[in-house]
Amino acid sequence: MPGLLILLACLIAGHLLNFLFALPVPAAILGMLILLAVLIVLGKTPAVLQHTTATLSPLLPLFLIPVSTGIVTQGDIIAEYGPTLLAILIISLIPGILVCGWIMGKGKLHD
Amino acid sequence: MTELLQLPLFWASMTIAAFVGGQQIYRLSGNSPWLPPILSSVTLLVGVLLITGTPYSTYMQGGSLLHVMLGPVIVMLAVPLYQYLHTMRRHWRRIALAIACGSATTIAVAVALTYWWIGDIPLSRTIATKTITTPVAVAVSEQVGGLAAMASAFVIVTGILGGLMAPPLLKLARRDQPHTVGLTLGICAHAIGTSRALELGQQQAAYAALAMTLTATLHALLLPSLLPWLI
Repeated sequence: MPGLLILLACLIAGHLLNFLFALPVPAAILGMLILLAVLIVLGKTPAVLQHTTATLSPLLPLFLIPVSTGIVTQGDIIAEYGPTLLAILIISLIPGILVCGWIMGKGKLHD
Repeated sequence: MTELLQLPLFWASMTIAAFVGGQQIYRLSGNSPWLPPILSSVTLLVGVLLITGTPYSTYMQGGSLLHVMLGPVIVMLAVPLYQYLHTMRRHWRRIALAIACGSATTIAVAVALTYWWIGDIPLSRTIATKTITTPVAVAVSEQVGGLAAMASAFVIVTGILGGLMAPPLLKLARRDQPHTVGLTLGICAHAIGTSRALELGQQQAAYAALAMTLTATLHALLLPSLLPWLI
């Protein structure tokens, strides 16, 4: 539980930054950057946080289900353009994935 | 029975049941990348909502009990990110280039195709937010005069498709080193891709989390000023 409290504290700090400076970056991402800064300063991951991470990681897809189910509200557009939009989403991913792979795999990595 | 369908706790339980069901389907299929738990779970849940005639807003009163955990879980991604920071620091130029060019390519193709095939400007602007994690995508699409409700659908479908397509495509291109797969999943498939990367391994998850964060930040900053100028 202390691990979860650390995560929530960072998330709240992220919300605070978001409000104060009207940043276009979401609070959760800001919270993640805050936690990353804390870990860099500490120089290690506290055991409680390690424990929370091991517990929560396998559950990540569960927390994405409610928002993903929102697809049921998009009936009209899906009925009219669904197959076209699906084709566009599939086709557009191919060059994106290949460009990423090409850039990351080009030459030798020094590690 | 009708009272049960109004009960938030019932829908929270159904979400967990769908997740367990989705994981079972995934396991029974021999961990097929074509059947990620998120896809089967959402399909099961959408089926239940349609059969019972339950509106999404009623469902979400229960769904939000689980949705609230998405925030802390995204913050948590700093842990694997920190663990691989040293390795990544050595080739940050390559990573920055992959994020900028990779996300620009997939978005440019999607926007151009939507504009040519459908010709609807709000829809074209909305599809530009497809590689950004959901909360940012909705905000950005509102800013550029897109359709906020549709933005989350594009993001989710892209996440599922990216999670499905990236690992086999990279294997085909013989670019399936852990860091390349993770980074590509984060760039092309945001949070859903990151959850797929978590299944593949810690290194993949770290790179995916890094790529997702940087892509979301980059696009949230650039798209509102770039899009109205392009279309």
